[in-house]
Amino acid sequence: MSHVQPLEKGIILSIENLSISFGGIKAVDNLSFQIKEKEIFGLIGPNGAGKTTAFNCITQFYKPNHGSIRFLSKKDVTVELNEHAVHEIIGLGLVRTFQNVELIRELSILDNVLVGAHIDYKTGLFGAMVKTRKAKKEEESLRLEAMKILQFLGIADKAMWPVGGQPYGILKKVELARTLMCAPRLIILDEPAAGLNDVETLGLADVIRTIRNEYNCAVLLVEHDMRLVMDVCDTICAINFGKFLAKGSPKEIKLNKDVQVAYLGTQEDQV
Amino acid sequence: MKKLLAQIKAYPYTKYILLGLVLATIPSLVYFDVLKSSYVTLVGVVMIYTIVSLGLNLLLGWSGLISLGTAGFMGLAAYISAYMTMNLKMPFEVTLIVSILIPVAISVLVGLISLRIEGLYLAIATLAVSEIFRKTFAEFEFITNGFSGKSVRYPTFFGFFKLDTTMTYLLLVVFMVVIMILIHNLINSHVGRALNAMRGSEAAAQAMGINLLKYRLLAFALATALTSTAGILYAHFIKYVEPSKWNLGLSLNILAVIIIGGVRSIIGTFVGSLVVFAVPDLVLKQIPYFGKIPNFAYIINGILIIVVILYYPAGLIRVFNDGKDAVVKLFKKSRGKTV
Repeated sequence: MSHVQPLEKGIILSIENLSISFGGIKAVDNLSFQIKEKEIFGLIGPNGAGKTTAFNCITQFYKPNHGSIRFLSKKDVTVELNEHAVHEIIGLGLVRTFQNVELIRELSILDNVLVGAHIDYKTGLFGAMVKTRKAKKEEESLRLEAMKILQFLGIADKAMWPVGGQPYGILKKVELARTLMCAPRLIILDEPAAGLNDVETLGLADVIRTIRNEYNCAVLLVEHDMRLVMDVCDTICAINFGKFLAKGSPKEIKLNKDVQVAYLGTQEDQV
Repeated sequence: MKKLLAQIKAYPYTKYILLGLVLATIPSLVYFDVLKSSYVTLVGVVMIYTIVSLGLNLLLGWSGLISLGTAGFMGLAAYISAYMTMNLKMPFEVTLIVSILIPVAISVLVGLISLRIEGLYLAIATLAVSEIFRKTFAEFEFITNGFSGKSVRYPTFFGFFKLDTTMTYLLLVVFMVVIMILIHNLINSHVGRALNAMRGSEAAAQAMGINLLKYRLLAFALATALTSTAGILYAHFIKYVEPSKWNLGLSLNILAVIIIGGVRSIIGTFVGSLVVFAVPDLVLKQIPYFGKIPNFAYIINGILIIVVILYYPAGLIRVFNDGKDAVVKLFKKSRGKTV
């Protein structure tokens, strides 16, 4: 991986000139931004601005047409994410949640969280089938770790309940717990407040901050709920029609003319 | 009774071993003239189909992949083992391994090509492979003996230890119980969770580091390994293999087993196998007038599938659980009155 240019000190993710188009539509157009270590970074923009597409490019669900995405992996090596398959991304220390919760309904909450530890298992197929002592030990220690995370998020008492039929707020927490299992460097949250009520959203802001402090990871957040974004983010990047619009602290973004135009329209539009 | 239930919960293998012990008594019941001797063959066949269906349950129930090629792969393993023991005079142990490895290798090859497609297309692709096998069984007479069929003998271990009907039957019991326990362990491990995740949400599975192609191939290979094991046991238990047996009807019957018995349930698979493969002979044929209708079992199975999907989508195994709950409730009620 020596051919990838190392990231500057303190930077964990660097996106340069990222572009992807579907047919004639440029969903993301020449987008660049950087995320620092332990930073809570917000990506905002009106509907259809290309936020989720940018996300999917970073996590390699889509392969971008142009640009580079450099990431400081768990082993402190700078890697080019575009060179990795989608299932390899989590191993580098980058993990995501989904806009519409993606959990396995039939499994218990604990089992769902343990899916997040998949890459940590060293037991092979045979070991799993005959349940060797090593496999048992490994399972137990990861189970304990999962319980700790559930405790941290305050849903340990529900660990054995099936996921199907749980309220949305709980499901969001289970997804969050699943991302924490792999000891990530950067967590990407896709609209974590969507479908939550006001109280739950307030709680979420605290949870995100605690995760950053306790797990020493950066958080990239795509969100529509402006109160949450303004409340929790250190830096915000605004995009519109796939293009970079502005970047700065929440205050700077609030006062930025371009952002106001993108969200509210120009004065001529409003008349 | 309650203690026993608690014990079953504490030691998850107990129910499989118990089932095995109950089934193992059948030959002695036949010996004492409590049951007809045909019961040994019937229950033996049920166990063989339980093993196949467990393979399909792993594929369809847990991993969410459809296959209609079950019968073809089962027949392939049956013919390979028959040819190896009868024509090549190979020992049963070697035959067992080779007759599993060859179908698994073929299924991995088929899987590499066809697992990129999903859903109904995968079903059609596997069905095509199965039909190719069936045609091959009929045409390659120098190996398969064509339509006149091929006779096989009971397995012989270590070259001298010849099994008889009862011993072969007990061998089936051991195979089924061991496979049930192995699958139980597998689905409760990280591999099982990966298969579940693949079915539940492909996007989430990939994001959590699960290589879809790898696990699809794994599920496909494991299902084929179980199917092959059952095929070998079938050949050596029934002692006869014919090409027309391995048709789409058999594949659909095995599909019916897991839908009727219980998707994602190990004991449910056995129940389903019992319903689909034993009930027609045990019950339906005894019914006056209706029992004489050819393929009456298919009609009953069809009705059963509709009823089960409507009222018990998780399979007949839920009926037992609901019954148990009802009994427990009744128990509590009567106790509440006395106190």
